[in-house]
Amino acid sequence: MNEPIISAHAVQHVYQRKTVLNQISLDVPEGAVLGLVGRNGAGKSTLLRNLVGLTVPDKGFCKLDGCLSTDLSDSVRERLGYVAQTPDLFDWLTGDAHFERIGSLYARWDQAHAYALAAQLDLPLHTKAKDLSLGDQQKLSVVLALGHDPDILILDEPVASLDPMTRRAFMRALFEQRGSESPRTVIISSHLLTDLERVVTHVAFMREGRIQLMDEWDALTEHLRLVQVKGAETPLGGIFQSRQPEHGRWLVDTRLPGAPFDGRALNLDDLFLELNA
Amino acid sequence: MHMIFSIAPSDPTPIYRQIVDQVRRQIAGGVIVPGQELPSVRAMAQQHTINPMTVSKAYSLLEAEGLLERRRGMGMVVANHSEQSDKVQPQDLLRPSLKAAAQQARQLGLTAQAALAQFEECLKKTHQEETP
Repeated sequence: MNEPIISAHAVQHVYQRKTVLNQISLDVPEGAVLGLVGRNGAGKSTLLRNLVGLTVPDKGFCKLDGCLSTDLSDSVRERLGYVAQTPDLFDWLTGDAHFERIGSLYARWDQAHAYALAAQLDLPLHTKAKDLSLGDQQKLSVVLALGHDPDILILDEPVASLDPMTRRAFMRALFEQRGSESPRTVIISSHLLTDLERVVTHVAFMREGRIQLMDEWDALTEHLRLVQVKGAETPLGGIFQSRQPEHGRWLVDTRLPGAPFDGRALNLDDLFLELNA
Repeated sequence: MHMIFSIAPSDPTPIYRQIVDQVRRQIAGGVIVPGQELPSVRAMAQQHTINPMTVSKAYSLLEAEGLLERRRGMGMVVANHSEQSDKVQPQDLLRPSLKAAAQQARQLGLTAQAALAQFEECLKKTHQEETP
């Protein structure tokens, strides 16, 4: 497995003269759980739509398991699960009718597993989608994306409307024991940062159509520190300066030579605020 | 005695490190003893809603340190000859947190007596929470 399982190569996406994605490149190794975070409008949903081939980039390209996203093979499609930001359901169908309809599209669909997931998430299956609450619509989308035991799972704010208990059940379901040999690779965009901290292996921070920072989450917490400097000096190992230069706040990477070690450690919330200040 | 794990995802200490530190402390303090089995990776991940890979990483590090052993059919157990626990005094492992607390107490202008009273209260409270 030389190639990353999910990748974007210099992806440029312009919408109504606005550059939504600006030269984005991204490599996600197999088995990673990548948290994609950034403010509203940073380009997260557009990036995810490009990755699964729902949108064609103006320049550059994306690949899933070596296959161009704009031209996915049936075998990659079979291994892919995607949850859109706005649940994509058939209004007039009930949950179990969705199971029949979606399940028939996948050779690996596991009806028993889908029912088990629905029970874990407390999802009513005999109500038409249009009569479900937004939270229940999200649950149904999640179950439909997981029902065929995908190896690649791309989730665009899948849990925004779910209560904390259900979000826990959802996060456990991500790692549920599976038939597949290959470990599941997940990208999940979310504003619920404390949830992400529990499950991610990697985090990518997006701002204004670019990826500001991406690394293993353990490495970021262990090596990134916030330091305060006087005036315009750049601290050794400085990788990011807060947009208000007069504050003299820098993120330093203590893996770089000479970087000070006495800065403040940051959790995901802190880091998000610093990078977007 | 059974193991106590408390995972705080928002703590800027990585979760794998929290697990490593807590296992190490409980071995040093004799809360868990040689031969005792640790929760399986899956059980631990499910209980705390964390990534199973994070638990594996912690267990592997502890195994490399010689504190845990992989036993066939049982998973991870506390190693028999936890040599390190002889060298490391349990008190030493408490020192870093106490040092940090001491600094804060100073910044808050608390007297030593007031700070000690707080610590005593915390000890009592933790004990009550863990004794059903």
